[in-house]
Formats: sequence, structure tokens, C-alpha cells
Amino acid sequence: MIGVVSYLVFFATTASILAIAVLGLNLQWGNTGLFNGGVVAFFGAGAYGTLILGGMPQGAHLGGFALFYPLALLGGMALAGLMAWIVGLLTLRLRHDYLAIATFGVAVAFENLVRNAEWLAGGAKGVRGFERPLRAMLGDGFLYNLCFLAVVLLALVATYLFLERLVASPFGRLLRAIREDEEAAQSLGKSPAGVRLTAFVTGSVILGLSGGLYGTFYAFVSPQDVLPTLTFQIWAMLIVGGSGNNRGAVFGAFLIWGAWTASGWALSRFAPVEAQLYTGSVQFVLIGAVIVGMLLWRPRGLLPERLVVSQRGKTPLAKQGV
Amino acid sequence: MPITKLTRAGVGLAAALAALAGAAQAQDCTTKIGAVLPTSVDWGRPIAETAQFAVDQVNEAGGAAGCRIEMVLRDTQVDPKVGVDAAKALVDLEGVKVLLGAVSSGVSMPILTSVTVPGEVMQMSCCSSSTAFTKLAEEGKTGGLWFRTFATTGVQSAVGAKVAKDQGYGSVAILYKNDDWGQDMARLIAADFAAVGVDVTASVAVNDGQPSYRAEVTEALGSRPDALYLALYPAEGTAAVREWISLGGTQNMILANSLKSDDFRDSVGLQYLGETLGTDTASPRSDSADAFRAAYMARFGKEPNGPGLANSYDAAMIALLAMEAAGQDASGADVAAAVARVTDPGGTPVSADTAGFATAKGVLASGGTVMYQGATGDVRFDANGDVSAPAVVWSFTDGGTEEVEFLSLHDVDTFIASLK
Repeated sequence: MIGVVSYLVFFATTASILAIAVLGLNLQWGNTGLFNGGVVAFFGAGAYGTLILGGMPQGAHLGGFALFYPLALLGGMALAGLMAWIVGLLTLRLRHDYLAIATFGVAVAFENLVRNAEWLAGGAKGVRGFERPLRAMLGDGFLYNLCFLAVVLLALVATYLFLERLVASPFGRLLRAIREDEEAAQSLGKSPAGVRLTAFVTGSVILGLSGGLYGTFYAFVSPQDVLPTLTFQIWAMLIVGGSGNNRGAVFGAFLIWGAWTASGWALSRFAPVEAQLYTGSVQFVLIGAVIVGMLLWRPRGLLPERLVVSQRGKTPLAKQGV
Repeated sequence: MPITKLTRAGVGLAAALAALAGAAQAQDCTTKIGAVLPTSVDWGRPIAETAQFAVDQVNEAGGAAGCRIEMVLRDTQVDPKVGVDAAKALVDLEGVKVLLGAVSSGVSMPILTSVTVPGEVMQMSCCSSSTAFTKLAEEGKTGGLWFRTFATTGVQSAVGAKVAKDQGYGSVAILYKNDDWGQDMARLIAADFAAVGVDVTASVAVNDGQPSYRAEVTEALGSRPDALYLALYPAEGTAAVREWISLGGTQNMILANSLKSDDFRDSVGLQYLGETLGTDTASPRSDSADAFRAAYMARFGKEPNGPGLANSYDAAMIALLAMEAAGQDASGADVAAAVARVTDPGGTPVSADTAGFATAKGVLASGGTVMYQGATGDVRFDANGDVSAPAVVWSFTDGGTEEVEFLSLHDVDTFIASLK
């Protein structure tokens, strides 16, 4: 029994960390229409930044600043934001698929950078030597995981509330206006370029937060954590959950990560022994089928965006009562 | 006299019944062990098959620690978070005390730091090669729960340098897989080449899955080396060597053990591999290595060639022997502590098959220790869970590979010491 609880805590932690990333992408794609194909670069910047700033000194590469943990995490987020600002200045004039290709390239470049620049990020061996905060007090076991889950949930709720308010604010309205018709927004005296950049950087800082928590949870990050698969996973979560809807984003993260892990577990438990070796491949087929099915039957996701009319026009009084 | 005979018969019958009861009991309970391996990757599946093969052999010998063994296999997809989640599920939901895996160091490491060490589960990897594990163990952060049967990269690189020296190559170019193993390999072999007086003209990283390696190969070729050293896996190795040969590169090649693969030989063509020598950690000069080979061929119909197969077999076998030694309901730490009892250089030698496991059971039951003679040699772990091993130099033949030179553990250690 305790095993099940312990596993669920572990699962919820990973899912919540991914949900934060999906929320970040939702601000970019769901609300502003920016096709970020390089999610993993900003996620990775957060993870690497946090571990390098907060880790113990290691001989072989940069790092070991052993900063106070919240500062290290903020540093990781700032690094993701800085990278997004530079990338944004260079690429945000591109539209749709062109932006996707450019940001995808950024992500591949980021992976190659951390894989090859051993002096910077430890090369393919990755960054280790990070002490999880408060480990001395809480130990290494179930209690630690429970407390860490609480911190991650707090971060998730805070991000969610922040984004809900942002989206409901006039700024959120502006984001949607730019998403729907940039020229119309411009004709009303708005500056789409600046707004797009703000949304891109904000979303990437949230992706960095997610990456920082991820690195903290494993106390380790390596180039294998920043492969394009992760970008694909985060996108799948947003599309299935419902892009443009923050609740959908969180729901999608839990659902897809749940399906991803549960299918592996179920196949290992119930598939016949001869088929065991092929469960890995079967799992890929199942996950692909779910996503294709979603796109066919619920293209707007399980919790589609709720369209809001910000300011109603004047309606006859008689109709208002209805 | 008749009474004595009757008594004897009675004792015999009782003993037989007791043995039967014991065997029946062994079938009554099942102990689960976990395996997290990349079964969705082409070279990962045989590694998992080989681990399952070892488990089957142990079950034929009546299981370990009085119970039948069931290996619960999970796929890592070579994705750290998927692997970590799978490991956590095996530990928490299936209650395993022993975990085999993973293959990639980038997956094994987070499993070690966030699942097996906190959960006090023994983790034994067939194939993770990163030097980071040695450092982590030296810092005391693995809690003695970490082992790997992949002989440290140092043995491979030292023997590679010896080959270059013995063949009289004056200069060598290096192509290496751009991951933690390849980067370690490239750094170590460059140092070892320098130590034996062989120039390294170029050291070029090769990324996975590129359609062409012409740029990398041209860079290595441009440095005009006498020979080429390859620390690659079969898929990239095949592509790179084809381009190397077609651009007029020398057939003087030295291969790491990852290219000891029939696929690689067949795809490149044996006629181009005449001058090629490979290195590997070796089987001991004992019947047990032949027993493994024979049993493997009987089961799978081919030689155990391919990255990590012998290592995977030994990892599973040693883990199960240690479970046997630790007894029923042992914790992960108990099993880890028992590894020393089954890899004791002074112990009774046991072979790597069903009969060997049965012998080991008897010895361990009477309080003795055994020395497991595995598919990769007389496996002996140091304090950091690393192994050293005898080595072999091999070349390709029509049917597989043949041995060119054998270096005993003593030879290897002496040669490595001479490089310092």
C-alpha cells in the first residue's frame, strides 16, 4: 500500500513538473499563436542553469557556485528567459511553420552545445554533484518526495493562477487579438512585435522553471534529457488537453504522462512473456494512435478553449433577462 | 542386514521426498526482479533477451533463494524520465530489491540518484560506462548499491593502444560516438596512444542517425593516419567505415568491442576487414565461457555477438547468485553485500550456466563462497562497483570472430601500469 502511495507521489511530481512546461507552451501557442518547436531548449536552459548555479564544485566544468536554492532556480529561469529574448529578437518576425523550424533548430543547437562543450556543461556525462535542498533535514526517502511534491504543486498552482489572471487581463485580450489577426491589432495602435516577444519570453521563463524543478528532482541532467522527444511530448500534452485553455494544459499533462507510464506498466504486467520484448515498440504505437485519434475526433482538445466576449455590445433590455 | 538395507532405503526415500518438497516449495513462491532496458531500440532488445536467458537458466536450477525468479521488464525508450518512472514503479509497485539496468549512463544515473539509492535497491548495469559513476561511488553516494559488469573503459583503451603499438602504426585517427561512453573512450585512448608513442592525427565525434558521415570521415582521412580507431556502434560504424573505405581509407582499423557484431561485418563486407583488429574484455580460459557460448547458441541459434550481451548475462547471473547468497527476504543492501561472496577470487569456481548455478547453491548453503566465471571473465568488482577483466584481441572471420591474442587479467593490469 505504502508502495502505491509512494509511486503516486513520484508520478504526480513528474506530471506536475511537465504540466508547468505545458502551461508555458500554452501561453506561447494557445494564447499568442507562437509555434515554439524548441520547447526543450528553454526547459534545458532552466535545468542546466539551476544545477550549475546550485551545484557543488566539480573539477571538469563550469559550475559549483553552490548558490542558495531559490536563487539557483531563479537563475535557471533567468537563463531560459535570456535565451528566449535573444532567440525571440532573431526569429519572432517569422510566422507559423517558419518559426517552428527556426526554434527547432535552436533546440538541436542547444543539445549539441551541452553535449560537446565539456568545459561548460560536462559534455555527454551531464551535470551532477547537485545536492537536493534540505536533504540533510528530510532524508532521501518518501518524506522528501512528499515535501518536494508540495513545492512542485505550489509552483504549478502559482503558475496557473498567474496565467489565468494574465489571460483575463487586457494584455491577454491583446495576445488573442494578435493571434487572430495581427494586422487588425496593429491598426488599433498595438505593437505586435513587442507583445509577441513579451509572451515568448514569459512562456520560456515558465518552461525554465519546469526544467529547473526537473533537474532538482533527479539531481542530475544530461544531454539525454534535452532530446527533441521532450518537445514532442509537451506538444502532445497541450494538443490533447486543449490549447488555449490552462486547465486543459494541466489536464493534458497528467493524462498523457499517465497514459505514457501506465501503458508501459500494463504491458509489462499483462502482456505474455514472449511479447515482453516488444512492449517498448507497442507502447510507441499506442501513444501515437491516441494522439492521431484525438486529432481526428477532438481536434480542439479534451477541454477546448472557452471563447470569451470581453465587452458585450449593447443588447435590448428585454433580452438581457433571458 | 535386511533392517539396515531397509533403513537405508527409508533414509533415501525420505531424502528424495525432502528434495521433492524443496523443489515444490521453490515453485510455490515467486521473487520479482526488475529490468529497465531500452527494448524499443534495435540493440537493446538482445540485451534484454540475454538477461531473461540467465533468469530462465536459474529457474531451471530451481530458482534463487528458494523461489522462482520472475524478471519484470520495462522499456526505457532511452528517455531518462521514462526510465526513472519505470524503475520507480518496479521498486514501489512490484517490490523488487534488485534492478538490472539501464544501458545509457544518462538513464542509469538519475535512476541511481533518485530511485535505487533512496529506496535501498541494488542496481546492476550491464552497459553504463560513464566515469561519473566511479566518481559518485568514490564520494560514497552510491551506498555500495551500484555495480556494473561493463569493464571500465580503461581496459578497452589500453588494449587498443597495445594493438596499435604491436602493429607498428605510427599514427592513428579516432572516430568516436558522441555520447558519454564515446567521449570517455576518445579521451582515454588518446592518452594511451600518446603513452605508447603513437600520434593521434585527428579525433572526430560522430553523432547518431546522420544520413552521411562524409564530413567526419574526410576530416579523419585528411590527417593521413596509418590506422583508424573506431569507438562506434554498429549502425554509425557501418556508415562511417563504408565511406572511409570508399574514399580510399586504410583497412588498418582497430575496433572497440561495440563493433564486435555480425551485422557490422556483413554490412561492411569481410573483404574490407582483413587488416582489422578488435579489442574486447575476454572470457576466461575455462569451460564456463564455452558453456555460455554453447548454451547461447543452442537457445538463439547464433553466436553471442553484439554490444553488451555477455555483460548483460553476467549482470543478471551475479545479481541472482547474490540473491541466493543473501537468502530469502533479503533487502537490497543485503544482496549488494552478498555480491562479494559470489565473486570471491578464493571461492569455488562456478560456471555460467544452469549446472554452475546449482553448484553455487550447494556451496553457498554450506557457508562457502564462490567465484563466478562469467561470460566476460572472472568478474571481480572493486570498491566502486567497477570491474577489471582479461582482454582479447580478435579479428572477423566468415562465421563470426576469432581470437588473435589473449591477455590475462595480470597482463592487462601490468600493461595498464606500464602506461602510467
